[in-house]
Amino acid sequence: MSPIRTLAGVSLRRMLRGRALWVAAIVAVMPIGFAAVTASQRELGVADPSDVFGFVQLMLAVLPALLVASPIGEDIEDRAITYLWSRPIPRWSMLVGTLLAAVPVVWVLAIASWCLASLAGGNAPTLESCIALVLGGLALAIVAGAIATLAPRFGMALTIVYMLFFDLPLGVMPAAIHNVSVTEHGRTFADLKGIAETTPAGAALGIAVIAGVWAAIGLWRISRLEA
Amino acid sequence: MSEASASARPPGNLVNVDRCSKWYGQVLGISDVSWKLAGGIVGLLGPNGAGKSTLIKLIAGLLRPSRGTLEVFGATPFHSPEVRRRIGYAPEHEKMWDELTAHELVTVMAELAGAANPRTAAEAALAQVGMTSAMHRRVRGFSKGMRQRTKLATAIAHDPDLLLLDEPLTGVDPLARIEIVEWIRALAAAGKTVIVSSHVLYEIEALTSEIIVIHRGQVLAEGNVYEIRKLIDRHPHRIRVECDRPRVLAAALAEAPHVSRIELSDRGLLIETRDPDRCYDLLAEITLAKELTIDSLASPDNNLGAVFEYLTSERRA
Repeated sequence: MSPIRTLAGVSLRRMLRGRALWVAAIVAVMPIGFAAVTASQRELGVADPSDVFGFVQLMLAVLPALLVASPIGEDIEDRAITYLWSRPIPRWSMLVGTLLAAVPVVWVLAIASWCLASLAGGNAPTLESCIALVLGGLALAIVAGAIATLAPRFGMALTIVYMLFFDLPLGVMPAAIHNVSVTEHGRTFADLKGIAETTPAGAALGIAVIAGVWAAIGLWRISRLEA
Repeated sequence: MSEASASARPPGNLVNVDRCSKWYGQVLGISDVSWKLAGGIVGLLGPNGAGKSTLIKLIAGLLRPSRGTLEVFGATPFHSPEVRRRIGYAPEHEKMWDELTAHELVTVMAELAGAANPRTAAEAALAQVGMTSAMHRRVRGFSKGMRQRTKLATAIAHDPDLLLLDEPLTGVDPLARIEIVEWIRALAAAGKTVIVSSHVLYEIEALTSEIIVIHRGQVLAEGNVYEIRKLIDRHPHRIRVECDRPRVLAAALAEAPHVSRIELSDRGLLIETRDPDRCYDLLAEITLAKELTIDSLASPDNNLGAVFEYLTSERRA
């Protein structure tokens, strides 16, 4: 655990000193504004929670890209990893260490954004919806990490593209293909207009399977990378 | 090399490269390299793109050979964390975690390398390379020389047995260069094995007499630098002169026994000599006597590329 803890500490320190965290925080504020505007335009002054949740999920396209894909991609592209690979540490510890630092930040931003947006929209966030964001945030951070190992130079951009043009659109398809979407499983788990005919446990399992596949891709790729 | 350093060195080969090749897709890194290293300081000499960094990265365990075997301390560095624990590597590139201070960076690297007390080790390493006063500054604001020193500190902080220094003198000011050379020599005297790469012959000569000449991914020559110099010196030294009356100069030089060939052109002449010192003296004499105006005087052989081309042609012959 020692190298992972060390690398997580470094990732967190770099994040706190960089600009990505500030950009992520600004992105996290956007659903609150969306919820407030939506609520003000309705007769009852209450926003549809599924719309607000959908906007928070949209935000999840950006947070892992900024906080996970970007630093991993940069480290590989700039060859900063040569310092790490020459150390007696397992290569996957770089990936896991970055996730360990970034995922809690993604969670805090996503849940805070969702809770504040819910309140701004005149709703109370449910526990299930918060857990769905926790599961979704973890899974999408793993996806972002794996994409960054596959295409370091374009890790951040490709993660956003994956979310906007793959995960989100497939998630609303009225066919079994929506099972490959983290956001759709998240909606089902949170009981907010999910279309998948499954239980919350099934949705959680679906998220775990998607995260597992991407984790395997990322770990395989990082074990093969040469600096 | 001193007796002290020789006695401190462990027996047997530390590095054993056997018919090792590395390709990056279609691009050749090194080709069929075989080499053994027992200890001391060894200089890898070659022009940019020769394969020096590839060989160093293979030894550091950053790359896997495409063909052949490579062992360090009796194991494959790519697969053996225990071997990598005993290696200190300072890469050629400057990019590192710029958001950290030098102290944080070296501490993290020492920690990852398994140093018992990383903070103390980092402070000692930074002091060794003369970075104590700047160690709490962020790397982002460092000059090239300061980055080099910080890189060297990351390489030595965990007290490795084998140091791999890729172009450590690049971008370093003359004073720091002397300090770093002295420091590398002191490490070797303390029993460390050091592999240092450079594309500048005099940099390597200042560090060690044991060199390997690499060009186009292949080892061209290996051994004592003086032997390699002798090999180089067998090749006639060339001097290119640009002056106002090249024909007059050529006529005066033609009688000198040490001048083997003169090639005339509109702007000047190319002289080949087996005794460069005498030839330079003669040139000065003729210039004064004939009142010539010399526009430029250069030796293409001072360009390392010319030496490598020569060694390549020797090999082919």
